[in-house]
Parts: sequence; C-alpha cells; structure tokens
Amino acid sequence: MNHRDDFPIFKNRPELIYFDNGATAQRPQSVLDAEQKFYTTYNSNIHRGPNFLAEEATIAYEDARRKVADFLGAHHKHEIIFTRNATEAINLVARTFGETLQAQDVILLSKLEHHSNIVPWLQLAERKDLEIKYMGLSTDWRVRFDPALFDERVKLVAITGMSNVLGTITDLKPIIKAAHAVGAKVLVDAAQLAVHEPINVHDLDADFLVVTGHKIYGPTGIGVLYGKEGLLNSMPPFLGGGDMISAVFADRFIPAALPSKYEAGTPNIAGAIGLGAAIDYMTKLGFKNIQKSEHELGTYLLKQLQSLSFVKIVGPETMDHRGSVVSFTVDGVHPHDVADGLSSKGICIRAGFHCAQPLMDHLKLSGTARMSLNFYNTKEEIDKGISTLEEIYKYFNK
Amino acid sequence: MDLYAQNILDRFKHPFHKDKSVKSDLQNQEANYSCGDKVESKLETKGEKLIKYSFSGEGCAISQASADILGDLVEGKTLDEVLAMGKDELFEALGIDISLRRSQCALLGLLTLQNAILKSRNEPMRTWNHFT
Repeated sequence: MNHRDDFPIFKNRPELIYFDNGATAQRPQSVLDAEQKFYTTYNSNIHRGPNFLAEEATIAYEDARRKVADFLGAHHKHEIIFTRNATEAINLVARTFGETLQAQDVILLSKLEHHSNIVPWLQLAERKDLEIKYMGLSTDWRVRFDPALFDERVKLVAITGMSNVLGTITDLKPIIKAAHAVGAKVLVDAAQLAVHEPINVHDLDADFLVVTGHKIYGPTGIGVLYGKEGLLNSMPPFLGGGDMISAVFADRFIPAALPSKYEAGTPNIAGAIGLGAAIDYMTKLGFKNIQKSEHELGTYLLKQLQSLSFVKIVGPETMDHRGSVVSFTVDGVHPHDVADGLSSKGICIRAGFHCAQPLMDHLKLSGTARMSLNFYNTKEEIDKGISTLEEIYKYFNK
Repeated sequence: MDLYAQNILDRFKHPFHKDKSVKSDLQNQEANYSCGDKVESKLETKGEKLIKYSFSGEGCAISQASADILGDLVEGKTLDEVLAMGKDELFEALGIDISLRRSQCALLGLLTLQNAILKSRNEPMRTWNHFT
C-alpha cells in the first residue's frame, strides 16, 4: 500500500523518515486543500450570519460533524462536540459531568494513561474530595481488568483505548460492562487508538469517547468529544459565551441545545472541515488496508528490534492486541541520546516519558525511545532505523 | 556516527565530579520531568566561596556531561558569581552547539546548583525561564 505521494511533506523532504506518528500524523494534500478551500472560497462565521456565505460555511462545518459521527458509529450527529483536542474534550467532561460527583466518589483510571487522562481527574479530585484508583497492567502489557475494583463508589472509569507508550490495545468491553453494572460511566481516551483501529461507540457502549484530529491525519487544534445524548443533555454547560446559549437575560441565560451547548465562541471551522476531509481520506483507503499495512510494518519492526542484542522492547513482542507503536530501550544509552542519534540521520522518533510518568514509575524506567509507524512508513525506513541504532550503540560503547 | 563532541562523551562516561564525597553544606535536586533527567548537586563552601562541587544523577549524555563540566567552572567562584552565571558561559565550556530541544538537558546542572544557593538563602528558586 503506497500512498506516500498523498503527503506533500514527503515530496518536500524526500529524505525524511518519520517514526513519530504517535505524536502527530502527517497531513494528506486533501486535508490541506479542504482547509484552503474554506478560507479562499466560502470563509465566513457559522450559525449566526443570515447570508449565503455563512450558510455555506455552516453546512460544511455541520457536514464535518456528520462525518465524525459516522466515523465513530454515533447514532446522532449532535452527540459529537468539537473541541481543541482530546485533552480539552476530557477536561470538558471533568468540568461538567465531574461537577455532579460527590465527596468520596471514586474515579477509576489505569496505569497506562496519558497525563491528559490523569491530570483533569486529579484536579477534579482535589476540588471535590474524590478518590482516584488505578487498574494495573496485565502480563501482556494491557490494562488489567480487575473486577474487585468495581463497586458502587466508582462513578467514572476513564481509560485509554490504546497505550501511547506500549502500543497495547485495551479490551474495553468487559471493563465498560463492569462499570455499567455498578452504575459508573465510562470515558474512553481514543486519541491513540482512532488512527489504528475502527471505533464504534455504540457497539462499545461507551458513555464518552475522545479523539484528537491531528493524530488521524486532520489539522491540529481540532478534537472531538462523543457523549451519549442523555448524558450531554443532563450535564451543565462548559464554557460560557456566544453560540452556547439560546437566550440571555440580564440575570440568567438558557443554554442552547446540543451540540452548540458545549461549543462556546467561534470554533475552529477550518479545522473541523479539515478533519472531515481526513476522515474521508481514511475511509477511501479503508481500515482493512490501513490495518493490514500497519500489521506488516509492526511485525517487521518488532522482529528487527529483537535481532539487536542491546535493545529491549518495552511491551509485547508480537503484534497481538497491539498497534504499530513500539517502545524500547538501548543498553547504556539514554532514550534522548537514542533520539538525537536517529535525528542526526534524518529519523524522527519520540523519547522520554511520553506524558505517562505514572506508567514509567510503575515500570521503573527513566524513559523509553518510541517508534510509532503509520501505513505510509516502509520496511526500507525500518532497515535504516535499525542500522542507525547499531551505530548509536557502537558510538556510546566504543 | 559523530553525535557529540568527544569531550561530552568522555565526561559522560568518565565524569570528574560525579558522586564525590564532599562536605555537603548546600544541596538541591532538580529533574527534567519531560525526559527523565535528574541531577542532585552538593556543594562545600568556605565563607562565600564554593570550594568543592559534586553531583549525582541519571539522564542523557548532555545533561550528565554538562553537570560534570559545570564543576570545572564553579569551584573557586563565590556563590554570587555562580548565581550570575548565564547559559553562554556554560555552553562555551561544553564546546558544542546546543539545540533548542536539548537546552534544558544542558542547563539542568546549572539550575540545580543555583537553586541550591538560593534555597539556602530562602530566596525564590529559579525556573528554566531564567535562562531564556
């Protein structure tokens, strides 16, 4: 599957080897075109302007919302709230649904969470005197489902769909079922998952699910919160301002209906339209093809890394229940030095804590190097990465 | 591969000032949490002079070599002179171009050391912003 030519960055920098897709994906031309077309042919504010241009912009923005709803398997398009990113989407839930929680209620997280799915809950716990508990890791490096942790005190379970460090994919269904059995709601952080696996919120029965646009080939500055209609209706509004109200009086206001209720102020219109184009792009490629390609690349990367005696893979050594995101350490070389060494040869990876310090503490690691591959990567690139790792090891151990 | 100047690699592998036993009049610990570098510095003072410097820590080659090379610069200086040191003096001693993304690594030792002094004086401690 060769769609490299769809991505202008690879034409502009033919030598670039980009293994940092877990941080952000590259953008296909069609996404850039969609944003440019908005600005150059129908740029206008949405929802409020009684003119044809505003109407065109509004239709395109709402069309993007429909595409996201279909992409995530949501029943209603108004269950999709546009945010800045996944982090803001989680904070939105913490500042609305979270405000309905009572002292001593429990929020259940996992040790695999990104800081963005930890810190908003720590902030909430401080405000509301809640308790935060963590699910641990299973022997196959996934979130360990421990039924004993689920009791009536648990009001929210917030878990990642896929670890941004280990690449492991969470078996969400048993966790969501157990949460619902004790009356808790579930938020799924799908920031890392959404680019690698198809998602169906309805099939999962997730109450909330968050995605960020830039990791699924969309623009930066646009993210998504999916929430079940009943929940979104029952929660208080988030930010106050224009667009989120239906009426304002000197002493009170009436919030707008969904989805505007949670979208105060002029949103990232071009970003939403670009995200719609990114979803069109992924749909055109087809998840089956994307997954087949990434499975092959991941399998090859794991095999090549295992052939290096000085490399330790942090995570599963096969592609079972995981995506093409691979963390590893190099004997005697700090992850940042590994990243610098690869960088000196034109190869971009991520190194460090990956915004998952509790996981690093749990694993007793002071960081890892991470290669995260998307379908446009190639085996030749992996070969260059592997030979450069050998050079780096020799350089530090000569 | 020629990643860092030889002096950086040498001082990373064979530091002069690491884990020395010094009379620890002042000490402080700082970390670069985004990448996991840690440095703890211990200073022996005589009056207003820093006479011995030692550090412990773990992290990348630049953070650890820089914390070590820092010792060459500061022993013999007064505490006020140490506080007045900026990143240019340190980066010159490192002898390599420090990219923006590695600046915090390179400055961790200096920040830790200066804050050890400020802490002992009950003065507000510095952050990375001090060096920008």
